[in-house]
Amino acid sequence: MSKKTGVIFFPAFDWAISPTHPEREERLLYTRDQMFEEGILDLPEIQQYAPRMASKHDIARVHFCVPNVEEQVLDAHRIAAGAAIDLGDRVMAGEIANGFALVRPPGHHAMRVVHGNRGFCNINNEAVLVEYLRKTYGVKKIAIVDTDVHHGDGTQDIFYHDPDVLFISFHQDGRTIYPGTGFTYELGGPGAYASTINIPLPPGVTDSGLHYVMDHLILPILKDFQPDFVVNSAGQDNHFTDPLGRMKITAQGYARLTEKLKPNLAVLEGGYAIETALPYVNLAILLALAGKDYTSVVEPEYNPAKFKESPKVTSEIGRVVEELQEIWAKRHQFDKYTLAKGTGFYQRTKPIFYDTHYIEEKQIEKVRVCDQCSGFISLDSQAYHPNGKHYRICAISIPFQSCKSCQAEAWESYEQAKGDPHFDYIYLQDKSTDTFMIYQRLGNREIRSDG
Amino acid sequence: MLIGIDVGGTCTDAVLLDGGAVCATAKVETQDDLLISLGDALDNLLKGIPSHKIERVVFSTTLVTNLIAEKKYDPVGVVIMPGPGRTFSDLRDQDDVFCLNGAIDYRGREIIPLQPSQMEEVLAWLEAKGYNKVAVIGKFSTRNNSHEVKVADFINKHHPDWQVEMGHRAGGKLNFPRRIANTVLTCATRQKYRYFTKAVRDAMARRNITATVFILKADGGTLPLSASEEVPVETIFSGPAASTLGVQALTPPGETSLVVDIGGTTTDLALVLSGNPLLASKGAKIGERYTQVRALAVHSVPVGGDSVVERVGKEFIIYSERMGPAYCLGGPMPTPTDALRVMGISQIGDEDRAHEAMTILGAPLGMGVREVAQAIVNLVIDMVVVEIERMYMEWEQEPAYRVWEVIQKCKVRPQNVVGVGGGAAGFVPQIAARLGCTPILPPHAPVANAIGAAVARPTLQVNLMADTERQIYIVEEEGYQGQLAGKLDELSAVELTKSWLLKRAEKMNLRSYVDEIEIINQDVFNVVRDWQTTGRLFHISVQTPRGILAHIGTGGRFLP
Repeated sequence: MSKKTGVIFFPAFDWAISPTHPEREERLLYTRDQMFEEGILDLPEIQQYAPRMASKHDIARVHFCVPNVEEQVLDAHRIAAGAAIDLGDRVMAGEIANGFALVRPPGHHAMRVVHGNRGFCNINNEAVLVEYLRKTYGVKKIAIVDTDVHHGDGTQDIFYHDPDVLFISFHQDGRTIYPGTGFTYELGGPGAYASTINIPLPPGVTDSGLHYVMDHLILPILKDFQPDFVVNSAGQDNHFTDPLGRMKITAQGYARLTEKLKPNLAVLEGGYAIETALPYVNLAILLALAGKDYTSVVEPEYNPAKFKESPKVTSEIGRVVEELQEIWAKRHQFDKYTLAKGTGFYQRTKPIFYDTHYIEEKQIEKVRVCDQCSGFISLDSQAYHPNGKHYRICAISIPFQSCKSCQAEAWESYEQAKGDPHFDYIYLQDKSTDTFMIYQRLGNREIRSDG
Repeated sequence: MLIGIDVGGTCTDAVLLDGGAVCATAKVETQDDLLISLGDALDNLLKGIPSHKIERVVFSTTLVTNLIAEKKYDPVGVVIMPGPGRTFSDLRDQDDVFCLNGAIDYRGREIIPLQPSQMEEVLAWLEAKGYNKVAVIGKFSTRNNSHEVKVADFINKHHPDWQVEMGHRAGGKLNFPRRIANTVLTCATRQKYRYFTKAVRDAMARRNITATVFILKADGGTLPLSASEEVPVETIFSGPAASTLGVQALTPPGETSLVVDIGGTTTDLALVLSGNPLLASKGAKIGERYTQVRALAVHSVPVGGDSVVERVGKEFIIYSERMGPAYCLGGPMPTPTDALRVMGISQIGDEDRAHEAMTILGAPLGMGVREVAQAIVNLVIDMVVVEIERMYMEWEQEPAYRVWEVIQKCKVRPQNVVGVGGGAAGFVPQIAARLGCTPILPPHAPVANAIGAAVARPTLQVNLMADTERQIYIVEEEGYQGQLAGKLDELSAVELTKSWLLKRAEKMNLRSYVDEIEIINQDVFNVVRDWQTTGRLFHISVQTPRGILAHIGTGGRFLP
C-alpha cells in the first residue's frame, strides 16, 4: 500500500481563551463529530497519532518570549506545536506521505518576539516546525503557503529575512480585515527579497477566483522555488459562512486547493464558522490529502446560484496576480545593498498591537546586510504587559546558515547589550549551533539552553 | 457458587467457583452441536452439587463469531442515508446498498428531508432482490433517529414479517460505517442466536438451574442472556476477553501484566494495566471492517505450539497454519512443541519423535538437535516480542483530545508476563526474560478462560447528550430522544445520566450489581452565537465499574 496520511487531531477540549471567545472548546467539536461519524479515522489511508509536546527549546529556537517561555506558553500551545513537529518527523522518516495537524490553538499571528497573545496566537506552530525540520534534518528550502483569510503576519515576521523559507499568503485585503497587513509591497528584507509573497484579495472571492490565483501565481512560484518541504498554514476562514471573513470559498474549493498544493504538512490555523464550515472543510481537506473522493462533501447551506463572482472582484484578482507575476519575474534584478539603501544595516521600526491582550509593542529591527549569509538580526523591543510591568529587551538572532563573521559579531553584540542598563533581558538565538541564551539583568542571571 | 463456561473452537472449558476457590473444572471437546458440549461441561461440573447452589452462570461463546466468519447467515438488504460527506464507494463495493436522500447533521438537525417518492423505490428494490432482512442506517441517526424510524416503519407496514433493524438500535456511538456493520450483523445473526439462547435456557431448566445466565462480551463485561438477544454481535470475540479476565483474577489486584495466551496456531496478547484490561480504541474488527463492538485490545500473533516449521535454504520458517498435531504426537511436520520437548521444557509427546523432527530440519545444515530446537524457540519468542513492542507503541499512540490527557500520558511497562494456554510453560519464562519482567504461570492456567467468564461483572454504560439551545437530550444506548423538562446545569445533567443508567439496570434485572456509578466522560461546551452564550452542550458518559467479582487463590505462583 502506498504511504498514509498522518493525522493528529487535538481539539483541546479543555482549553479556551475565554468562554465566549471564538477560540474556545466548542471550536472543533462538530469537526470531531463529523470526522468520527464518517469513520474517516478507520480508513486504511489515514493513520491517527497521539500529540506530543514541543520542548521549551523548540520554542526558544523561534521565539523570544518575554520574559521567558514559561510565562507566555501554556501546555495547550506546546501540544499544538508538538503535533506539527511529530507529523514532521513522520514525513521525514517516510512513515507517512503527508499529514494534517488538526489542532488548537492556532499560531500564524505569533511573531518572533512574544509579549502576549495576538490574534488568538501565542506561538507560531508552523515556524516551530520549520526551524525544527531545519535543525534536525537539515531541510534547506521550505515553502509555507498560508491559506487563512487573515494575513499570516507572524509567520511573515519570523521568516522576513530568510531567503530559504518562501512565505506565500493569500488573504482578504488588509484594509478590510485584521491584522491590516499583507500588501504586495511587503516582499521580504534585502537579503530575502521576494521570499515573502503577499496576495491581498478583495472580499467576495469565490472558488473560481481562488483557483485562478493558485494556477497563475502560487503554483508557478512554487515550481520556480523548488521547495524541499511544503507547509500549508490551513486557515478555514475564507469559507462563505465565516463570521470574521467575507470570502466565498467552499469545502470543495479548499479540497481542490489542497490537491493542487500537495503540502507535506497542513497545520490548522483559523476558521470560526465552527458549525457551518469547519466540519465540512476539515473533512474535505483530509480526504484530499489522503487521495480519497471528496466530491460529496457539500455544505448544507451551499447554493450554487449564489456563488457567481462579481466581475469587479474577478478583475481585481487579475490585477493583483499580474502585479505579483511581474515582481516575481524581476526578483533577481535587485541587489541587497540597493534594497538596504546602501547601508550595512537594514533597519525598520515596527509598532505591533496585540489585540487579545491590548499590548502595544515598540520594536526596532536591524539586520546585517552580509555577502556571505542572510545576516544576523537584532531587535530592540519594549512593551507594557497586562500586569503593569514594562519590559525592554534586546534580542539577537543568528540565522541557520550564518557566516563566521556574522556569528562572531552577533555574540559580541549580545555581550555588549549585557552591559547596556536599558535592557531588562537580553536574548541570543544561535540557530547555527542551536544554542539559546537569556541574560536577566535583575540578579545578573544567565541561562543557556542547547538543543 | 459461580459457573463459567468458555466454548472455544476446539475445547469447551468450564469451572465451578466458590468464593475464591476453584471447586471443579471440566474440559470437553467442542461438538458441532454447541449444546451437547455445554451440557457435557455442565454435567461434569455439577457432580454432587445441588443445582440451587448455583447463583450465576456465564457463557462465552464463539457462535456468532463463527456464524460471521463462515458467512452462515441470510443475506441482508442495506438501506443507507449517507447525506453530505464521504462517498462510501468502498462500502458500496462490499454490500448491496440502496442510498436514500435525506440527512441529519451532527447536532441532530434535519438538513435534507427524506424524499417520499424514494420509499416506494427502496421497497421495490428489496422485493426484487428477495431480501426479507433489512438494515436501515442513517448518518447521525444516533443524534436523531426520525429518518430511520420512518423508513423502517414504511417497510414494516408493507411487510410485517420482515426483520428490519435500525442503526441507532444496533450501535449507539458516532461512526456511520461501523454502525452499518453492526446493524447488518445484528440483522443477520439474531434469528440463529435466539435459537441458541433458547437451547441454553432448556439446558438450564433440564438441570434445575435457576441462576441468572449471562453472556460474556468482547469488552470483558457480561450481559443477561435475554438482553443479549437484542445485540447478539456484542458476543463476538469474547474468548480473548475470557482469558484476560482469567489472568486478572489469577494475579494480585492492581498489577500491570502482559497476558500471553499461547494456543495451537495463534498467540493472543493482551494487557492488564494496573489491574484493568486495556480496551481497544477502535472496536472489534471483522475481516477488514470495524464494528462498534467495544473489545479488549488483543493482538494475535500467527504462531503457536502446532505451527509448522520448515527449512528454507539456511533458514527455518514458521508458518501460521496447522497441519495436524506436533510431530512428537504423531503429526506430519516438525513444530515448536517438538522443539520444547527436545529442550526438556515440556514433557508432551514422544521424545524420540521430537528428536527425529529436529533432525529432519537440522541434518542438511549440520546442526545438532538441541541447536535446532533452540533456534525454533528463539524464532517463536522473536515473533511474539516484536508484536509486544508494536502493541506498546500503538498504545502510546492512542489519541488524546484534552490537554490533561497529554500531560499525564506516561510510558507503562508491565511487571509480569502471565502465561496461559497450552504452550505457555515453554515460552513465557523466556519471553519475560527478554522483557525484564517476572514470569507467572498461574494455577488453573488451562482453564483461565472459564475462570475469566465466571468472575466477569455485568457492565452497563449510558451516554447522554443534552443540547440546551435546542432543549433536547438523547440517550444513545436506549435510542431515546426527548425534550428537556427545564433548565439543565452540569450537575443535573450528570444526575439525569445516572438515572438512565439505573433505569437500564432495573430493566435488565441488574440493579443489585449497581452500587457505584463511574463518570467516564463529562464535557460541557458553550454554544456561542455572536459572542453570546445561547446554550450548552453536555456530553456525559457513566458506567458501572469494570472489573471482576473475585480474585482466585493466592494470585499466581511466581516461577523461580
